[in-house]
Amino acid sequence: MRQVRRQMMRALGAMALGAGALAAQAPTPVKVESFTLPNGLTVHVVEDHSAQVVAVNVWYDVGSRNERAGRTGFAHLFEHMMFQGSANVQKAEHFQFIERAGGEMNGSTQPDRTNYYEALPSNRLNLALWLEADRMRSLAVTAENLKNQQEAVKEERRLRVDNQPYTGAFIEGMPALFDRTSCFAYSHSIIGSMDDLNAATVADVQAFFDLYYAPNNATLVVTGDVTPATVRRLVTEYFGSIPRGAAVPPAVTCGEGGAAGRVERVADKNATLPAVLTAVRTVPPSHPDHPALELLSTILGSGESSRLNRALVRERRVAAGTQALFNPFGPMRAAGLFGALAIANQGVAADSLAATLADALRQGAEGFTDAELTKAKNSWRASTILGRQTALSLSEAVHYAALYLGSAAAVNTDAARYEAVTVADLQRVARTYLRPDRALTLIISPEAR
Amino acid sequence: MRALRPLVVAVSAATAVALLAPHAGAQGPTRPPAPMPLTPAQFPPFAEVTLPNGLRLLVVPSTKQPVLSVTLALPAGSLHDPAGRSGLAELMAGLLTKGAGARSADEISAAIEGVGGTIGAAAGADFLQVSTTVLVNDRELAFDLLADVVLRPTFPATEVDLLRTQTLSGLALQKSQPSAIASRAFARGLFGEHPYGRSADETSVGAITREEIVTFHSQRMRPAGALLVVAGAVDAAEARRLAERAFGGWTGTAPAAAAARAIPQRTRTEILLVHRPGSVQANLVVGNTTWLPIDTRSYALTLANEVLGGGSDSRLFDILRERKGWTYGAYSSVSRRRGIGSFSATAEVRNAVADSALRELLVQLRRMGAEPMTAEEFDRKKQTLVGRFPLQVETADAVASQVANARLLGLPTDYVQTYRQRLAAVTAAQAQAAARAAIRADAAYIVVVGDATALAKTLAPIAPLTIVDVDGKPVAAADLEVRAGGPAIDASRLVATSDSFSVLVQGQVFGFQASSLVRSDDGWTYTERSQLATIIQQTTTVTFGADLAMRRTEQTGRIQGQEMGVRITYAGGKATGEGQVPGAQGMEPVRFADVAVPAGTIDENLASVVLPYLVWTPDARHTLNVLTSKGAVQPRTYAVTGEESVTIAGAPVVAFKISVSGGEAPAVMWVEKAAPHRLLKIAPVGQPIEFVRVR
Repeated sequence: MRQVRRQMMRALGAMALGAGALAAQAPTPVKVESFTLPNGLTVHVVEDHSAQVVAVNVWYDVGSRNERAGRTGFAHLFEHMMFQGSANVQKAEHFQFIERAGGEMNGSTQPDRTNYYEALPSNRLNLALWLEADRMRSLAVTAENLKNQQEAVKEERRLRVDNQPYTGAFIEGMPALFDRTSCFAYSHSIIGSMDDLNAATVADVQAFFDLYYAPNNATLVVTGDVTPATVRRLVTEYFGSIPRGAAVPPAVTCGEGGAAGRVERVADKNATLPAVLTAVRTVPPSHPDHPALELLSTILGSGESSRLNRALVRERRVAAGTQALFNPFGPMRAAGLFGALAIANQGVAADSLAATLADALRQGAEGFTDAELTKAKNSWRASTILGRQTALSLSEAVHYAALYLGSAAAVNTDAARYEAVTVADLQRVARTYLRPDRALTLIISPEAR
Repeated sequence: MRALRPLVVAVSAATAVALLAPHAGAQGPTRPPAPMPLTPAQFPPFAEVTLPNGLRLLVVPSTKQPVLSVTLALPAGSLHDPAGRSGLAELMAGLLTKGAGARSADEISAAIEGVGGTIGAAAGADFLQVSTTVLVNDRELAFDLLADVVLRPTFPATEVDLLRTQTLSGLALQKSQPSAIASRAFARGLFGEHPYGRSADETSVGAITREEIVTFHSQRMRPAGALLVVAGAVDAAEARRLAERAFGGWTGTAPAAAAARAIPQRTRTEILLVHRPGSVQANLVVGNTTWLPIDTRSYALTLANEVLGGGSDSRLFDILRERKGWTYGAYSSVSRRRGIGSFSATAEVRNAVADSALRELLVQLRRMGAEPMTAEEFDRKKQTLVGRFPLQVETADAVASQVANARLLGLPTDYVQTYRQRLAAVTAAQAQAAARAAIRADAAYIVVVGDATALAKTLAPIAPLTIVDVDGKPVAAADLEVRAGGPAIDASRLVATSDSFSVLVQGQVFGFQASSLVRSDDGWTYTERSQLATIIQQTTTVTFGADLAMRRTEQTGRIQGQEMGVRITYAGGKATGEGQVPGAQGMEPVRFADVAVPAGTIDENLASVVLPYLVWTPDARHTLNVLTSKGAVQPRTYAVTGEESVTIAGAPVVAFKISVSGGEAPAVMWVEKAAPHRLLKIAPVGQPIEFVRVR
């Protein structure tokens, strides 16, 4: 009796759900106001008074893809230099000013961009803009700061790469998917090699700053409790007199080649369990296949109900964990990276895990259902909406649209590309890109100690 | 590795002359602008109501994005774990989403992930929380699932086993992490036999039955005292409708918590040194219990703590890291449990400066109560704490968690609304008085996790010192010292043997180790060959006299394609050696000359040869002095911890299980219980490798 009632309740619940789900929810549209200073600095402003918070977020159009052979890791090393002081800001003061204002700040480096941001009470908008302008104008490029940061980055490498399981194999191994000659841009790691980090000179840093850290190579996004008029006035006051820099060389291209079709074996001294990573080269975010590929990656490897988790963790129990990888180092404007990762259970050999993963990926590339597609779209929609709840995360979304999709306005239109994906699209992209002859596979085994 | 973030970097006092960039010609403002006016912020509105069954409902509406998060918090934390069953609340929490109502674990994950949502549960010390986040259109499903997992979990036996296995793996991993070792030991010392002091371990997690999980659920998961928090794009009326539909029929009150043992009153400072052999760093934790969360001195203490060790703009960071360069970071914090609060300060430091760093920490703790803070640092920190408010209430979720926290801790009803004003009203004198009462350098509990052979002597003068191993068992100071003699081994009983071991990595055969002991003219030659896949191959030869006096050791091999090798000669009680051996950064050269070797010391490689000749009883404990390939003389302690059956060549053999400490990594060995006490198996702790006798 109780069982029957429960079934009925559930049926009613499902109906209610069906009614609610008729109108698929989209991210709340945002109004972006844009302007460009005479020196080339592009500014996008989103006004939102729901909290007394503002995010100031500068993206420079430079990343590890702009590095040359012998200077890998330079973009990230440079990011550290940006916290070492400028004409009117002493070392460590940037951080102190923001913390004392009750805010947060940081920076990060990806293949195609380097960002610097502050999130703080909205009445300190002027402080964040002043700090960003001061370092864009007058970074303290000194031998002492460089030496200091070379050591800091090497320490970071030891702590986060050389002392962690899988990370080294992953960040050094995966870029081999791209050819070192025709696509040097993406064929090396962001953190770079110790030798290259040691080789950087003050002249390198100065030249890098002069070329890439000019207003005409930067985009500023301000989101939150501000008015566009106030932002325009303050940005003009602080950034207006920074001279335009030289024209930046044309964007790098990424030719074919690389280690596709190869299986590499790697010993990892930090790992206690074997792991397998496999990845294929795909397309940039602006490419029509990108949304279908992203949804495919959700179906394969995002969450406990994903195809890979069901096959490897719950049914065959060969893996302790598995997930899909989608542009794990950050989006790229000349390529894409799609992959999967599995970590073995105790007692499972690396080769057996690799074979099972390959099998699951083969099966995973066929037979998509409407229900799976709906789930993936729901998941994309939810994570997009949840990812815009703070001023800072919204500023990142506006930057993403502007840099990778070609216009800040795409922050409102990108969702339609995902909603339009069909089961046939999933099947087509899976067959086109997810092929063993396109894949680089890394089999990572614990190095016996 | 999505993004590499900059490390906050050491500041040197020297100010370098900036080489200004060419585009620096035009000047901008040279001073930071003054704050612009800010409309006084109010704490965002929220609604509270108590349902007829005693469940309290808290609603924080926000229309910013169409999202909804729902959290149910109940007084069912690990505080309520029965004695000997630590980990029960956490295990039960993890199982709630692994089968509930008519859904299996897979069906629950498919349902929530199908709408792009999440659901999960976790147990803290006082409370257990179950949370779900969805787009607001999926609110009915979210409440359905939440009600199912809270009210109708099925606890399938297979899921219990799976989660128990995962929990045990997690516990094993924690023993390799010094910070986890330190926090367990600290809680134990601070709270003693009170449930706040207990942590789950292999025994307690292994003992928990499905029946106990079911009982814990039916007793503890009750609406009286529970708080349901709804934040996001619904109004109070809709939230109430959803809550009543899901939880209206839920009834009952949990039984009163079992009377807890009293929390120890500490009257002097003492140190617990957790011996982690080979550790190159020492993890320091210093702290004490404070007071109940409702104590009004908490505002002043929050400020004092911020001055002392809040972030990288505080005294501890500035002194221990920036000025002394002893550590990567040093911080302090105050935490609030419903039953009692605590204060702690932490730092990870190199062994060589551990005593200096600990003394300095204590000096700084004492200074907080003894000296007034400067107006500059006090005002600056107050500004930071008060100024942080807008970011702390930016999202409905953040608002909800602050209100919920205040309610769960039993703080006054206007706590969240008046928090900033009360913080702003604190004077420097009040902060100092609070620090004097709550930051107790004179009655602190200190945990140091590190290599006791390197630390015991330097730490002992600071405060009374107790040494334990990572399992909390006492370590005698004598075990850490190299003593002449060592145990009596009757060398005349040595017999020629040859042995063979399989090397297993996660249960798979990866290689072998074969050894032989043969008589030479007037002594013995021990030879050992090891091969691990293609990764390691190594041959060791040790020659020694009939009286066990070492003569010569030679080791050659390749590790990962790199040559390794050591040659050691012994003469006149001294050892001299040279070669290259694996170290933290690849191969490292070693060279030592005339290292004093106390009589009875044996080569490190010979330990497994002499073990069978020691006296093995259920409580045997032996310490051998060994010379390592790096030229260090170290005591190795072999202590029987129990009896176990080991399978050798398909047949069970009764063995003494022996814990080995004092080397670079702890290990476990199994020696046959019956004479001739053959060595059966060796397993380094925390590594997936085992050496198992072949026959």
